[in-house]
Amino acid sequence: MTALRTARQTLIICRKELKDSLRDRRALWSILFSVVIGPVLIGFMMNKLADRQREAEDVRIPIVGMNRAPTLVNWLNQQSGVRVVEGPSDAEKAVRDQRESVVVIVPEDFAERFRASRPAQLQVISDGSRNDMRPSVQRVQFLLQQYAAEISSLRLIMRGVSPAAVRPLAIEQIEVSTAQQRAAQILTFIPMFIMVAGFVGGMQIATDSTAGERERGSLEPLLVNPAPRVAFATGKWMAATLAAVASVCLTTVLCAQLTRLLRLEDMGIRLEIGPEHVAPILLSVGPMCLFTAALQGAVATLARSFKEAQTYMGVLILAPMLPGVISSLYPLGNSPWMYGIPMLGPYILLTDVLGGRFPAPAAFLASAGTCLLASVILIRITTGLFKSEHIVFGR
Amino acid sequence: MLSVVNARKQFGNVTAVDGVSFVAQDGAITGLLGPNGAGKTTTLRMLYAVMKPDSGSICVDDVDAVAAPQDAQGRLGVLPDGFGLYPRLTAREHLDYFGALQGIDGARLARRTEELLDLLDMRAIADRRTGGFSHGERTKVALARALVHDPQNVLLDEPTNGLDVMSTRAVRAIVRRLRDEGRCVLFSSHVMQEVSALCDWIVVIASGRVVAQGTPGELRQQTGFENLEDAFVALAGLDPGERQ
Repeated sequence: MTALRTARQTLIICRKELKDSLRDRRALWSILFSVVIGPVLIGFMMNKLADRQREAEDVRIPIVGMNRAPTLVNWLNQQSGVRVVEGPSDAEKAVRDQRESVVVIVPEDFAERFRASRPAQLQVISDGSRNDMRPSVQRVQFLLQQYAAEISSLRLIMRGVSPAAVRPLAIEQIEVSTAQQRAAQILTFIPMFIMVAGFVGGMQIATDSTAGERERGSLEPLLVNPAPRVAFATGKWMAATLAAVASVCLTTVLCAQLTRLLRLEDMGIRLEIGPEHVAPILLSVGPMCLFTAALQGAVATLARSFKEAQTYMGVLILAPMLPGVISSLYPLGNSPWMYGIPMLGPYILLTDVLGGRFPAPAAFLASAGTCLLASVILIRITTGLFKSEHIVFGR
Repeated sequence: MLSVVNARKQFGNVTAVDGVSFVAQDGAITGLLGPNGAGKTTTLRMLYAVMKPDSGSICVDDVDAVAAPQDAQGRLGVLPDGFGLYPRLTAREHLDYFGALQGIDGARLARRTEELLDLLDMRAIADRRTGGFSHGERTKVALARALVHDPQNVLLDEPTNGLDVMSTRAVRAIVRRLRDEGRCVLFSSHVMQEVSALCDWIVVIASGRVVAQGTPGELRQQTGFENLEDAFVALAGLDPGERQ
């Protein structure tokens, strides 16, 4: 009977904290911002990378005086991903004004010099200060050099000389850092963003309903209600956890939309967050939300003021980032004991789930079990703090 | 009915309440009168069971507030020092929240809310968020919140502090009404006029001790001062100008 009443009171407190925090528009926006900024930033970077790669492959070459070099134009058009168009009359201005990334000019005497086997001039107009255009400029230059090499080989063969004689070096370039790899590196941040979202999502309620409540003077009248202190500690913790889970869902949906929008498969990356991933993601991060909300609640209750609580949160937020940062420095591996560490377990589970591997149920259980245990201990601590006159009435 | 027997409370080296005893009867307004820092708020906090006395006993009706704080709290309506409202909740939502925590369900809570909105003349502000409320409006919300579960005992910690004349009168009218309904009202104040105008029984407290108690008339007799303020100063052992 008493337990039932306590449970009811816990739910009443939880509901009120959720309602109250949903009305705190300013805090809500700041949570939304800090949760959304990461994925959006990543999306932006990925998009840039993808664009550049596509640009370099599919190049549009504006040529001024196309009719003066029909063979060159024909040859270029035959290359894959190349489209030759009539160049603008004000070529230099067009490049300077960024209307074109590169323009090729065929001078009037091109055909004459070409026929006479004298170096026929071609002008490639580009803007070296623009990094984003560099791949297309390089591709144009490479194509022109390739054409020149083919012509010179033909001329040598006509004169009975082996083209190999004039190629003392055969240089083959092997680029190690492909765009895919760079993209994959950026994507390793996604698990970290989801975890930070879980932390940040619960932070507002955890601090406002404890340190904030005391600072407003509303803790004393609240504690006059005939409810055991554990109901207050648990209700506030539940509200913070729900907010954290909501924040995780939001970030997950955002990342899912992002991976779809960016068409990562075009870049050879297999990362898809679909509806079937939602449950495993929540199973991985949900227990962490229980734990972080309980930790935030305990620390904020201990803090002397709301401001002090916020300062502590600024330090604690490093916790969900730590596994991601460490794993980017050196591989963590996955020994079984790691699942039993409150922040590490969820991180490893999350990377597994996002990487398309479904961890063993025992791993989920180990992670959830320790997170829950730690949460229970922390809630007991918070309950104890709520019982302390020293804490309730300030120092 | 509230009874405090020889309650003591110490904070570090400071003895805030040093053996206070008094009884506040049902159907009467009891005034807890004393200067700032006399131990009024600490005494009230022990009564509404958010502080435990170091020694002594405290009872609400026949419930031991030290042993069974929640049972005691269920019989109490409390207006604490500083109202502690939630700025983002409306007046009505304050009543809903505290009513629900006190265990009042839907229909009963709705009816009680309507009663209080009328009693405190707060219909116009019922569905506004309390963030922009005036001091008087906040007092009304805190008072309504304290009364939402229809408690037999009402504790008011300096309820008229900082209120304008009209709001003060309104609060006094409600306090009288609560007494006339047969409730036990304990009212703390440092304002003489207020206590003499309102209270049936006065407990004068200074430096954590009860220095005198009785009806307003008895106190005047006891000290030989016709003016209750002079009586108070004499009882509290204060010399005007020296303290405060």
